[in-house]
Amino acid sequence: MNQENLSKINSYLSFKLGEEEFAAHVGKVLNILEMTRITEVPKAPEYMKGVINLRGIVLPVIDTRIKFGMTPTEYTANTCIIVLDIEVDNETIQIGALVDAVQAVLEIDKNKVLPPPSIGSKYRSEFIEGVANIDEKFIMILNMDAVFSIEDVASLKTKTEETDITRSVEEVG
Amino acid sequence: MDNFKKKFIEEATDLMDGLERSLLELEENPNDQSIIQQVFRAMHTLKGNSGMFGFDKIDSFTHEMETIYDLIRNDKQQVTREILDLTLAAVDHLKVLLDEESFNEPSVQENHIRLLNKVRAIINGDKKDEKLHIEKPTQPIQSEENDLGNTFYVLFDPVSELFNNGTNPLFLLDELYSLGQVKVFAHLNKIPSLDKINPELCYTYWEAIVYTQDNVNSISDVFIFVEDEATIDIQKISGGNLLADDLFITELKKLEGVQNDIGITKIQKLAQQIQSSRVKDKIVAPGVKERVQSKETAISSIRVSADKLDMLMNLVSELVTTQARLTLFAENNVESGLMPIAENVQKLSRQLRDIAFSIVLIPIENMLTRFQRLVRDLSSELGKEVVFITEGADTELDKTIIESLADPLMHILRNSIDHGIEDAEERLKKGKPKQGKINLKAFYSGANVMIQISDDGAGIDPEIISQKAISKGIITADRKLTHREVLDLVFLPGFSTAKQVTDVSGRGVGMDVVKRKIADIRGEVEIESKFGFGTTITIKLPLTLSIIDGLLVKVDDTHYIIPLSVVDKIYAIEHEKIAKTFNNIVVLDGKQIPFFYIRREFEHTESTETYEQVIVVNFEEKSVGLIVDSVVGEYQAVLKPLGKHYKKQDMISGATILGDGTVALVMDTNKIIKLFANHEDFKIGDELNKE
Amino acid sequence: MAKTILIVDDSESIREVVSFTLENEGYNVLIAIDGTDALKFLDGTHVDLIITDLHMPNMDGIELIRHVRKMEQYQRIPILFLTTESQAAKKMEAKDAGATGWIIKPFVPAKLIAALNKVLR
Repeated sequence: MNQENLSKINSYLSFKLGEEEFAAHVGKVLNILEMTRITEVPKAPEYMKGVINLRGIVLPVIDTRIKFGMTPTEYTANTCIIVLDIEVDNETIQIGALVDAVQAVLEIDKNKVLPPPSIGSKYRSEFIEGVANIDEKFIMILNMDAVFSIEDVASLKTKTEETDITRSVEEVG
Repeated sequence: MDNFKKKFIEEATDLMDGLERSLLELEENPNDQSIIQQVFRAMHTLKGNSGMFGFDKIDSFTHEMETIYDLIRNDKQQVTREILDLTLAAVDHLKVLLDEESFNEPSVQENHIRLLNKVRAIINGDKKDEKLHIEKPTQPIQSEENDLGNTFYVLFDPVSELFNNGTNPLFLLDELYSLGQVKVFAHLNKIPSLDKINPELCYTYWEAIVYTQDNVNSISDVFIFVEDEATIDIQKISGGNLLADDLFITELKKLEGVQNDIGITKIQKLAQQIQSSRVKDKIVAPGVKERVQSKETAISSIRVSADKLDMLMNLVSELVTTQARLTLFAENNVESGLMPIAENVQKLSRQLRDIAFSIVLIPIENMLTRFQRLVRDLSSELGKEVVFITEGADTELDKTIIESLADPLMHILRNSIDHGIEDAEERLKKGKPKQGKINLKAFYSGANVMIQISDDGAGIDPEIISQKAISKGIITADRKLTHREVLDLVFLPGFSTAKQVTDVSGRGVGMDVVKRKIADIRGEVEIESKFGFGTTITIKLPLTLSIIDGLLVKVDDTHYIIPLSVVDKIYAIEHEKIAKTFNNIVVLDGKQIPFFYIRREFEHTESTETYEQVIVVNFEEKSVGLIVDSVVGEYQAVLKPLGKHYKKQDMISGATILGDGTVALVMDTNKIIKLFANHEDFKIGDELNKE
Repeated sequence: MAKTILIVDDSESIREVVSFTLENEGYNVLIAIDGTDALKFLDGTHVDLIITDLHMPNMDGIELIRHVRKMEQYQRIPILFLTTESQAAKKMEAKDAGATGWIIKPFVPAKLIAALNKVLR
């Protein structure tokens, strides 16, 4: 999808990680897959869940929850893999984002989107494009390129929260 | 650019590369006739073909160069250093000329003239008055001709053996007809009686009256191939078209049927008669058929081989994957009777794969000429005598790897000549032969290609390196480093220990860049050096091709592929035996083999099986065992990249999709073993594997 | 029926340009990369004309022509060879070997066709 058309579309795919709701621009979404067997690659960062076969292509799958500093995804009937187009180093690659549930495709008008709060926010603002209030819920619209960039830093949480995550990860680990 | 031109440029480049190689060979063997022939032939082909595709400068330039070598092959000139230098410079110039725009540069034009002058000087230096290549295109005979065409008399009397050359005289007559209006008389009087006829001989001869708007050359042109095999007489008998003249035709008819030649004299007389008795009319000449020049229509672009190859490789990959699925299906549905067919498909796809690969793999030989030139030019420039020996030129590598190798290797060679090899005086003082030696050796080792460059030069002084490292703050003065560690310092950025940044290898391009470039092609580089004696640089490269023959194994619920090229043997072993050892060594076939328990190392759960499999693999010429749950079998794995997110880890070189759709991980056993060995403080020492 | 022409030349660029020209004229074109390769073709396929370069590896043009003339079915086949102007001696040699005619390099397609018309109809 070229840039021009992209900007005209206001559709977003919303998904859940735990109790929190997020949204990604549909231009980034290629596919939604049911949970399937993921082959784990040894000695990789924890958020790299492994790889799956997507029609002949080897697709890396990232545990989005871990990226957001939550406990690892527990598989339920609703767990899905969202296949996304991500821009990395001027290249477009595909990755799979593991999420707890996919909700719906929402039309979010540009003027309904509020800028992300800069102070006191739970998550680092580079990853959040904005926040929208839909049906009494706050949905965080994500910059998927930033969320899934190749970074050594596992967490997207702000510094104050970091000590909490390490603890929770160790508990689970 | 049109495709034919592109094709010619490719070919010409190959020819020039070959020419360069031959010239270097010629330097070593200046009297070898066969090499001289090779050089001459290459130039000749270049000359002959370049004109076809519009490269006139190359045509004329090579034409002159060729003259020198013509003299040489006729023993009228010796191969001298001057000539070789000139020819090599000429080849460089020719390569530049392949880019048609290049001649717009004044520097190129100057070079062109300069080289040509040198060439001519050499040619003229030859005192003999021999005339070479003065053949000018034959000048067409200009005769006064009437715009409306002329009538000619043509006699065509071929030798009887005319047919032996595949000539068909009737075709030649047809050609005459295409020139205008023609009346032909066939003379059969020479044909012997039936009993004496030899059907393989030609007894007929012809006379013809030809009217054409073309000049006489078009007529003589018709018979050009048979000039030596026939008596040909062409004479203009009149302006205008006598054949359109009724009187002429009538008189001609009278002469017809005569056994012997009509003869030119009779015709001329007749013509004169007609002319004097008739008023010349403006005769509208029949249009002469023109041969339509075939237009070069644009062809839909045919891709250059490199892309075709990529496509071919992709298709072969797809075929291999699909074939795996077919085999799996056949195995699971034995009743279908598909097994034998699936086996055949497997065999065929394997063969296809091998051939496709052989096309994609290129021997490094092609790169070597570049290096030979470099060594030659550089050693001459720096005033050092260097002998460059290459071994294993036929070792093959993936073309992309070769392309990425050229720069690092050039750099290593430069270093060697510039900083490694000492000048003649110093070498003699050291008791070394005057000539420095640089050896480039390429060979296979397990699943890798090794390229080793060694010189017998000054070697690396560990003291200087350490000092520099200390002064750069990389290490502290009291830190004790092993010999290896000191040498490895050379790979750090900014580490050129050259006292002056010479024009040749300075400019901040250091061994760190070399290391990085080699790492980019998943290779490794190591330095070994003995101060005073020489340096050896070893590069290890993977044969990463998109399809590898592997051993499919299972660990827990994950499938892994171990490249067959490293697999030595497989043993079954009791779980007990492995669990109980305390030093990671197991005895197999009387040998002590260190092992790694994949389940443990890859953080799977502990095994509950009684038996497991030890895959003994080659690791740097030693044997190491990798323990897996079970071996599934041989598998042709189509290697797929894991993606950028997995770039940091290198234990798994890629993934492959199995027949049932699941993903198997391809192990890089060298990296795995290295990693495990380090992390367990485990030395895979020589003592363990004394055979 | 369309005539078949066999082109023998070790230069791919020449082979391409010649076959393109001939195919445009409606001929069937077969290609061989040198004399040895050409003989393999001639062993089975029927060919109406051979166009060959002189300088080729393995088996050069002259030798090829000699071989062809010894083959029963090709004793009379028209054979054209490619030559550069400066090879007067070669021309004689080729003709002595049995060649019908020649095409001078560099040539434009029209010249090729002109030579063709003298030996093939």
